[in-house]
Amino acid sequence: MSGDEACTSRALLARATAGDTAAFGALVRMHQRSVYSLALRMLSDRHQAEDLAQDVFLQLYRSLAALESEDHLSFWLRRVTMHRAIDRLRRERRYAAMPLADAEIVASDSADADPILERRLRGLLEELAPAARAVIVLRYQEDLDPVEIGRTLKMSVNTVKSHLKRSLALLRAALAVPGSGAGGGSPTPPRPLPSGHRLLI
Amino acid sequence: MSHEDTNRDDNHDVEQRLRAALRPVDPGAGFVGGVMARIAAERPRSARLPRAPAAASWLTFALAASIVLALLVTHQQQARRTEQGLEARRQLIQALRVAGDKLDLASRIVNAQQPPPNSSDSGA
Repeated sequence: MSGDEACTSRALLARATAGDTAAFGALVRMHQRSVYSLALRMLSDRHQAEDLAQDVFLQLYRSLAALESEDHLSFWLRRVTMHRAIDRLRRERRYAAMPLADAEIVASDSADADPILERRLRGLLEELAPAARAVIVLRYQEDLDPVEIGRTLKMSVNTVKSHLKRSLALLRAALAVPGSGAGGGSPTPPRPLPSGHRLLI
Repeated sequence: MSHEDTNRDDNHDVEQRLRAALRPVDPGAGFVGGVMARIAAERPRSARLPRAPAAASWLTFALAASIVLALLVTHQQQARRTEQGLEARRQLIQALRVAGDKLDLASRIVNAQQPPPNSSDSGA
């Protein structure tokens, strides 16, 4: 976030805390992309993600007085979103029943590797246990380091690192990425996941 | 290239692909409107909330005032009863004292009217 944006955000937060709903609307617009994307990558369903993101902003509206700064706001939004998403996944246990068939079929039919691989990667993420998925999403979507991820998910740094290492190894094995083909031009199709294999960490 | 180098390259490749696959996306156009509508729907409910504590505190105040008033009245009645009791005691003591004085006076009169015992009569 640039300096101007930070100032604007701080001013908006102060006005929203004082009861200015228009300022709160501007805050929602400013953070909707991040919150919605976190929810979407965790739940893999647009409607559920929108519903969860709206719940998070509603909770934010009720908790405005407790927020001290713009940084605190971003941290709060990430933490509440991820905890709500993890709770919902654990309640519904959707991750255990999510098939990979769609991604594999599309992958084998197309010669355009990158979008297909991206879709397959998202499909593989759905196979991860909620906590491991949350670590990966915060690391590669929000670009947080392990310490920040640990604070957000109330997890030790070692656990975060362990999740990252194991998830990357499993994803790499599932994708069968060729060592020299990192440029994205490789037509090599991803290796299908062995039947019954679940990346549950 | 060593096995470790190959692993590092592979990880880097997976990381790049993960970043690309997890690019943030915008929600639908009506998202902010939906949030604001939910807040607007909630506000009248929360606006009613302060009234409930106000009513409750008024009730508490009224109850406390009633209790204080009742205690005050009871205390005054008790004080009045004590005062009346003390007054009655004073009057009783006064009456007894007066009665005692009268009896004392009557006794002295009776004693004065009785003839003293005659020594000659007793001799006859």
